Amino acid sequence: MSQRSERRGIHVDQSELLCKKGCGYYGNAAWQGLCSKCWRDEYQKARQRQIQDDWALAEKLQREEEAAYVSSHSSSQTQPPQSHSQHSLATFSKFEEKKTNEKTRKVTTVKKFFSPSSRTAPKKALVSRLRESHEAKTPSPSITRQSSIETDRVSRDFVEFLKTLHKPGREIHKHSRAFIDSMGNKKQDLSAEELSECVQDFYQGMSDRLLNHFKGSSEKVDRVMDQVEKYIMTRLYKSVFCPETSDDEKKDLATQHRIRALHWVTIQMLCVPVEEEIPEVSDSVVKAITDIIEMDSKRVPRDKLACITSCSKHIFNAIRVTKNEPASADDFLPTLIYIVLKANPPRLQSNIQYITRFCNPSRLMTGEDGYYFTNLCCAVAFIEKLDAQSLNLSPEDFERYMSGQASPRRQDDPAGWPQSGSRVNPVLTQIQHNLSVLSSLEKRQQQVIEGAQSLEAELTEWQESVAREVQEILERYPLDIKPRASAIDAENVENDRLPPPLQPQVFAG
Amino acid sequence: MAAAGGKTYSFKVVLLGEGCVGKTSLVLRYCENKFNDKHITTLQASFLTKKLNITGKRVNLAIWDTAGQERFHALGPIYYRDSNGAILVYDVTDEDSFQKVKNWVKELRKMLGNEICLCIVGNKIDLEKERHVSVEEAEGYAESVGAKHYHTSAKLNKGIEELFLDLCKRMMETAQLEERSRGNGASNSSTGRRGVQIVDDEPQAAVPAGGCCTSG
Repeated sequence: MSQRSERRGIHVDQSELLCKKGCGYYGNAAWQGLCSKCWRDEYQKARQRQIQDDWALAEKLQREEEAAYVSSHSSSQTQPPQSHSQHSLATFSKFEEKKTNEKTRKVTTVKKFFSPSSRTAPKKALVSRLRESHEAKTPSPSITRQSSIETDRVSRDFVEFLKTLHKPGREIHKHSRAFIDSMGNKKQDLSAEELSECVQDFYQGMSDRLLNHFKGSSEKVDRVMDQVEKYIMTRLYKSVFCPETSDDEKKDLATQHRIRALHWVTIQMLCVPVEEEIPEVSDSVVKAITDIIEMDSKRVPRDKLACITSCSKHIFNAIRVTKNEPASADDFLPTLIYIVLKANPPRLQSNIQYITRFCNPSRLMTGEDGYYFTNLCCAVAFIEKLDAQSLNLSPEDFERYMSGQASPRRQDDPAGWPQSGSRVNPVLTQIQHNLSVLSSLEKRQQQVIEGAQSLEAELTEWQESVAREVQEILERYPLDIKPRASAIDAENVENDRLPPPLQPQVFAG
Repeated sequence: MAAAGGKTYSFKVVLLGEGCVGKTSLVLRYCENKFNDKHITTLQASFLTKKLNITGKRVNLAIWDTAGQERFHALGPIYYRDSNGAILVYDVTDEDSFQKVKNWVKELRKMLGNEICLCIVGNKIDLEKERHVSVEEAEGYAESVGAKHYHTSAKLNKGIEELFLDLCKRMMETAQLEERSRGNGASNSSTGRRGVQIVDDEPQAAVPAGGCCTSG
């Protein structure tokens, strides 16, 4: 699609290549057949027009709003038909969102009147109609809008950060802005390498300036440079990530296909020292995969590096748990290769190229992030060149697996299929394990219930038996109350058989 | 890459050698002073850093471990790009590992020329009885390719401190030479002196190497 490839084409008529405005320069399909200069003019005009339209609309709405307010106060009959308001609500909310994204500052007055009260419904309809005509009029000179929230935020952060630096901060800001503008002006004609050179020159110049003019310590300079990188790369991301002039995209697709074709490679072939049966290990593996995939969503080269580093840390954790010793490169690289094969990260080559081209070199050369990044490059290089020998396979087997005629697992030993199957999917193993734990729990609970029941039965039984026994004993030894045995000489004092009581006798002696 | 200011040097050192020659033990002994220890705190031994202070200059050493298996051999250039030094480790009981070192040396010299400081290290001298690579052969070879030879034992903690210290000094010299040849080598007074004094804030790295002059 690039300018260059069209020029190379033989069958294209010369007149089709020229700018439609007839200024004599070559045009480009991406700019609707205009040359870069005319396109910029058009774009500026359209943009200007849109801003004016927006303002006019805002003013008009304000006037209407005031009128409506007055009339609603004078007579309450101006209630709109309900169906109408519902119809326009959906489109309206979208519109409002878009407006907020674009320029929060400018539309504050407009927004005030956009508050979704039913009274303003007629204007909503109007707004949606206006918006439609808007879109028809200017097809899309507003590509830059989509990501402007993030850009705005980063710009604000950057300014906030620079405020802490006082005078140098202002200068840094001025330089960065000027650099972004100059990149914006010339970016279309440059190859990726030239873009990279521009950015690297800028980094170099900026850090030299900081070191020499402002006498910053190297740590401080590093910190400032991180912020500068964040700012300019967020702003330039869209135009320099996977630029049209490079063949990054083709490489991305090739790598993706390659990884897909290698889906059959197992942990054993790569000698990865990781056992996925261990839940903590499989957890780490999943996290590592997530991190490496997440890399694509970041804009700043250093954030992308941070994703790679985080992925590596999870890998180290997995190895540590499995082997119980710190991981060396001999463990790490195969595992990283395995993770890349499993994750198949989107736009891998583009991301690697982007980091290489636009990352601050001091990060990439000696730092820890640089080490992990280098390993990722190695992993990709290995995957690209991977052959039978590097997996300890015979060339015939390798061919068969690559062409999909055979699968290594089924071939190895059909008897071992279930085990290797469960090894391949640790989640299933986990589920199975959980199920068996659950069923054993259920069994034990059953036992407990049975035990409780038998205990209950025993207790009742015991109670009954005790009662029975008591009863029996009671029966056997009935309690009949006999008349009380009287004292010997309580009543029959006069008993004849008893000798007369002794009487004291006095003896003389 | 050496910092241009001449105050802090950052060096990248790659660790090359076949698997099982003890590369990991070597760096772990150097950076953590531990050997086969259950209490090793680091999660990994593939990227380690060490801060040194040599002749009043700060040196940040980044040690990059590389995968030593044969199938990763082709990836070497990606690893040792931009490195200032290389430590080539072999096992004194393993003749093959020494042959492997020779291959690495050839490759490094071809790709990076004389700008990289090479150290050839015969590890596991605690297994002297089973030695299969003769001292004469190894040292002779090292000299013939412009490398320094060291004998170490990670197990007994022998020769490791000296190895890294020597390497750092050599890398500093190389960096200073380069600085001067670039014309902006207005580095401070101590560049010409041969005497080296080590002022070290980390006790295990404190090896005084006979110096007489202090630099600010």
